[in-house]
Order: sequence, then C-alpha cells, then structure tokens
Amino acid sequence: MANQSGNAYALTMLCPILGGVPPDAPSGMAGQTYTARLRNVLQTLRMNEESPMAQVPNTYLCRFWVLSDVPYQGKPAFLEHLKSDYLVFSSNFHGELEPYLEGMWNALKDGVLAILWHCVGHETVRDAASFIAYVKKCQVTTTFFFNGSTDEPLAEQLKNLYLKQEFSKFAFENQGKSAQELQEAFRGFIQRTNPENLAGPTWKPGAYHLDRADAEPETAAGAASK
Amino acid sequence: MTPKVDLDNIQGNVVKAYGRYGLGVARYVFFHVTVPVAGRKFVGDIVPLVTTGAPWTDPARIPSVTTNIGFTYEGLRHLDVPEVTLHGFPETFSMGMKARREIIGDTGPSLYRHWDPIWNNNDDDKQHVHVIVIIDGKEEQDLENRYQEIQRILAANPGVSQLVGHRGAGVDNLPYQPASGLPPSPETLGYPGGKEHFGYSDGISTSYFEGCGEDPILVIGGGKPTGQDPHTAAGWAPLAAGEFVLGHPDEAFEYPEAPGPPLFSRDGSFMVYRKLHQNVGSFHSYLDAEGAKFPEGKEALAAKFAGRWRNGAPLVSFPTEKSANEFIAELAPLQVKVWTRTASPQEQARFAELSLQLVAYDYGDDTSGARCPFGSHARRTNPRSALEFGNAKAFNVPGALSNRRRILRRGLPYGHVEDPTSDDGEHGVVMMIVNADISRQFEFVQQQWINYGNDFGLANDPDPLLGNHGINESRRAGGRMIIEGDKDAGKPPYFCDRMPTLVETRGGDYFFLPSVTCLRMLAMGIVDPT
Repeated sequence: MANQSGNAYALTMLCPILGGVPPDAPSGMAGQTYTARLRNVLQTLRMNEESPMAQVPNTYLCRFWVLSDVPYQGKPAFLEHLKSDYLVFSSNFHGELEPYLEGMWNALKDGVLAILWHCVGHETVRDAASFIAYVKKCQVTTTFFFNGSTDEPLAEQLKNLYLKQEFSKFAFENQGKSAQELQEAFRGFIQRTNPENLAGPTWKPGAYHLDRADAEPETAAGAASK
Repeated sequence: MTPKVDLDNIQGNVVKAYGRYGLGVARYVFFHVTVPVAGRKFVGDIVPLVTTGAPWTDPARIPSVTTNIGFTYEGLRHLDVPEVTLHGFPETFSMGMKARREIIGDTGPSLYRHWDPIWNNNDDDKQHVHVIVIIDGKEEQDLENRYQEIQRILAANPGVSQLVGHRGAGVDNLPYQPASGLPPSPETLGYPGGKEHFGYSDGISTSYFEGCGEDPILVIGGGKPTGQDPHTAAGWAPLAAGEFVLGHPDEAFEYPEAPGPPLFSRDGSFMVYRKLHQNVGSFHSYLDAEGAKFPEGKEALAAKFAGRWRNGAPLVSFPTEKSANEFIAELAPLQVKVWTRTASPQEQARFAELSLQLVAYDYGDDTSGARCPFGSHARRTNPRSALEFGNAKAFNVPGALSNRRRILRRGLPYGHVEDPTSDDGEHGVVMMIVNADISRQFEFVQQQWINYGNDFGLANDPDPLLGNHGINESRRAGGRMIIEGDKDAGKPPYFCDRMPTLVETRGGDYFFLPSVTCLRMLAMGIVDPT
C-alpha cells in the first residue's frame, strides 16, 4: 500500500479552497480571496520547534501549501487546469491514520479549524470523528513514498538523535582515559542522558539543528549543512 | 571510439603537468585591459609563444620554458567578445571565484579581505584581473628570458597594464607570483612527486583522459575504475575527454556547457587559480601535540590526514610506517638513477613496477577505513570506487558518483618557510585546477567533499588538511576528524578535534583557457556567434 512504509504513514490530502472572497471582506482591498487569506495564514505559521505541528504527536515531517494549478509540460501534453485552488496537506508520521488525526485534533483543534475555514465543506468538521471523515474524503493515495527516517515512534527517534549527539561528544571528551576513568565517566553519561527515559533529556519535536550553544563559528561546513 | 582531441590546438597545461617533465619553476603574471584593440593585439603577440598539448615524446626536445594564457569573464568582455558569446558562459564563470565564496567555503579566514592586494578592488567590483599568463620553466633564467619577452610585448601595447600586488617575503607588491618546487633534502632525493610545505609528497596521482596524448601507463590510478583488478591496467579506463576539454563528449555522453560559436569553445577548458597559504606553525603544533597521543605515532597521524605517508606511499597499500619506509627506500635511489640515466634495464623495470604501486589501488580492501580513513584528504577528493562502500553492484559503473567530479591538478608551491613554528610568512601552494565544468567538478569537490563530509558518512566534518575549520586566532577553530579503528586488530577509533584551519585562500579567480584557434580569433576580433 503506497500510503505506508513499515510503520510510517504518508498522508496526502487535497481540499478544494472556496472561490471568491468571504462575505465579510472589505471591498476594494487586495488579498481578500479565500486563497489569499489561507496563504497568509500558512505563511505566517511559526517554524521548527515553534511550529504548531510540533505539538502533534508522532509527526516526522509535514507541509501545508496552496496548489493553484498544474504545470504545463509542453506538447504533446495537454494544457490542463484545476477546477479550483486546493489546500494540500502532506504529512509523514508514525502509526495509523485515524489515531494520528485524532492526536492532531486534540492538540490543535483551533488551528485546524482556522485553516479549514477557507475550504469547501468545512462546516461539517465539528469534532475528531468528523475531522477524520473530512480528511479521508479529501485523501489521495501517496505514490513514490520515501521515508527519510526510520519508522519508529517520534519520541524514540528524538531520543536516538539526542543520544547519538551526546555520545559523540562523550567519545571526543574521554578519549585516552584509563578503563576505570572511562567506566566512571560512562556511568555519569548514562545518569545524565538517561537512555531509557523517552521524556527527557531529549530533542524537542521540530528541532532540525544541533544544540546551538555548541555550534562552531561560521564555516563552510556550517553553511553546507543548512 | 576515440575522440578527435586536437592536441596541437589545446593549450599544453590542460594535458600536461609540466613538473613531470622537469619544469619546476614558474611565474604567474596578471594583466588588465583598458583598450580592447590593444588587448587583442597583446593576445595576438603572445599566441606564437603559447605551448600546445602536442606530446613530448623525445626527452631531448622538451622545451625549457612554456607559456599559457587564460582570461576571466571580464577579461573576455574587455577584448570585445560579443555579448551573445559572453552570455553563453556558465554563470559560475561569469560570477567569478570571489562571488562564489559561500559555495566554495572562502569565508572566515579565507574571505577575500585577507587576499593579496592584486585581488582586492573595492571588494565586490567587477573583476580587475583580466588575463593570466603562466610561464613554466626548467631554470629561473628560462623564466626570466620569457618574462622579458612578454614585457616587450606589453610595452608595445599601451592599453594593457600588468597588475602588481602579490605578497612575498616582507612585501605586498610583487609584479608576478613566483612559484617553485621545493628542493629535496639529501634524505628526500628521489621521493615521488614534489614536496609541499607540510612535508608531504604531493602531485603523485593525476587524472587521465581519452586522447590526452600522455603516457598510457598513467591510466592506471588516473582513469576511471572499471571494476576489474585496480592493481592492473584492466582496472582502469580513460575518462571521457569532455570532462576536461570543451567540445567533446563527457562522461554523460553530452557536450559540456560552452558558449558559441563552436569554434570559440572547442578544445578550450576552464582553470581555477587559487593561492593557498599554509599555516605551517599550526600544522606542526597540532601534529606534535596530537601525534604524541596517537597510538601509532606522529608520522602515522600525518599519514591518516592525507591518505598517504609524507614520503608518498599510499596508506591503503602500505598500512605501516615500516612498510612505507621500505618501499620508498627502494624506490628513491632507482628514481635518481632513472633521472641520471644510469639505471640498468632491470632497474628500470623494477622502478616502473614500484612506481605503479604509488597509484594502482582502490579502497576495495579497506571498506572499513581501518587503513585509510574515510575522512583523509586523498580518499575524499579522489574516492576512486570508494563511494560504492564495498557493494560492487551498487551502480552501473563503479565510479558512478565520482567520474564526473574529477579534476586535473596543476601548480607549484610558493615561498619559503622561515619559521616552522609560525603561521606567518608567505608560503603555500598555487593550485590550478583544470576542468570542463567549474561548478560540477571543482566547486562540487570543494563544497561537498572538502568542506562537508556527508557523502562519506562523516556528517559535516571537513577535510582535515584543506577544510575551512574557522578562524584560528579566535581559538574557536573546530575541525574534527574520525580515524576509523580496526575491529579485527582490536584497535579503537581515534578522534581528532579542535583542529585549526591549515590552509587559507589568499587569492584567485576562474579563467577560460581558449584553444589556439580561439586565441587567434580573439586577437583578430572575429568571434561571431550569429
């Protein structure tokens, strides 16, 4: 099934955006169509750790965007157009679709409604169950799904990344120590990093950058990794 | 089918590393054109001196001095090359090296503000350097004679001026950039390659392409891997000529991007000129301090940085200091006999056999990096088939990820190290990189393989020797290198950190090296892209 790769799920949904301007739009002002307003909502969302989607459990990677038309690829292809603008939501996450969407609704009900308000049929969305039904109606099959990480729960992955980073530091800091010193230092490492505890210390969801306090001065390597 | 590479039309420095023919001193001279017609006549007067790529098969007829010429984008514009032709050049070339600094890592200690005065003209203004004339010779006197010839041509063409402003010992206004191979000490006489200021034998391997006219034996280690035994000629095939020469098919069976008309660019190439200062004080102090802790000792650590022992022996074939020393101890006296033509036929044969071992290898027997670290300079910049990571069926061809990232290395060291404990002074390497596509070849290697490590599974660790590790003075330089351990031998990995920046850019730009035909067209002002 193209929507899933192991325990990873790739959701793609396309919701038609309402045409024209909302009844409350002041006349003669630019940027008042449903599409323009929605784009504004999406483009002013906070990013990374502060992204509202960072609060949605088990989100690996996601994106909202407005699809206004399809590109023309030249003859012999036909020049085609979409019947309306669409809101596209693409999300890669751990687990099954329904529990994920339920988590999204619980974490982000107001945000979800603020976005869907611009779309056809949004009045039907009132609770988690109707939200799930709405998304399923708009869902299209994800083809060519490539999962860029493992398919473990997000908390596991974040802890993995945290431990990997901390262990690398540990290796550099403790090189050449005697077996006894090393063992002692390793005990301290285990105590401090608490590998079994997924709640912390760990990386924050949405973080894509290494611990900034430890960042090197600007080098080409830094630039290349951005 | 062999491509029709016209060696009499290609400039000689594209196909030959002159140093291999005993031309070990050089002067790099730069000019600015103010009057296009004078600039074209200047070029026309130099054309008869230009050295072509015709093979030097008879050692007695190797010239004692050579001349080659190249142009920046602004240089071509100042010769009145038509706009349509200029717009056919790739953006990389028209932007020039200074403007490409974020991509190639010429930031921090390598930022253009620290460059020699000749390269600084109100920061980001259009290129001031228009023309480079490269003179290589056997002796200083050969250079001086040719230099004076060019001075006479210059004097006859007001409207062209020579740009001064190269830094040298105690001065910053040299009229040209001098360079010369470092003389061997009695102990290093006959060592392979030439020495650079950190003490490494350099310039041992070279890329080999179809129709280049050089010794076919150089395909071994210099061509592209075939998947056969890398210790034999069957393991290697010549790279496509179009990787280095415009107007010929490249490894993707396409012509490299080049401006029209075809006659203008065919048999031309691009050259990157980089003056690279070497922080010898930082190199020695880091190597001494870390080498004292490294279990195999200081020389082994130096070898792990480079992928070769400082005497030139490749780490992957000679994993111990003893084996490397024994190898070079046999090779060096034979090299001296070959130079002085006193080697017996048996000695010549043995020398040829040993010389091959310098280049005839890949990393197929060292997929864990236990011998030659993934992060070492040589393994990064010329991975051979290492990007298969031991999976021989990973790609259609073993060099799928590296065949289009090959470069030709030219250039020589410059300056002398007065105080090996200090980074100050004027010494380093003038590196000249020849390739058909600056962006795909030089810039890719510089950005992805030298200043980043992801292709080797090394996250963002840069090249230990050439990488930009930040500014040393601030004590925040933070290069890292992981030296892989050897599970079978029970050897743990070793971690180098807080590595200082060892090499800093002090100037340079991107140059077009036209064919002889193109040079004549430039001189006559008859380039017509319509």
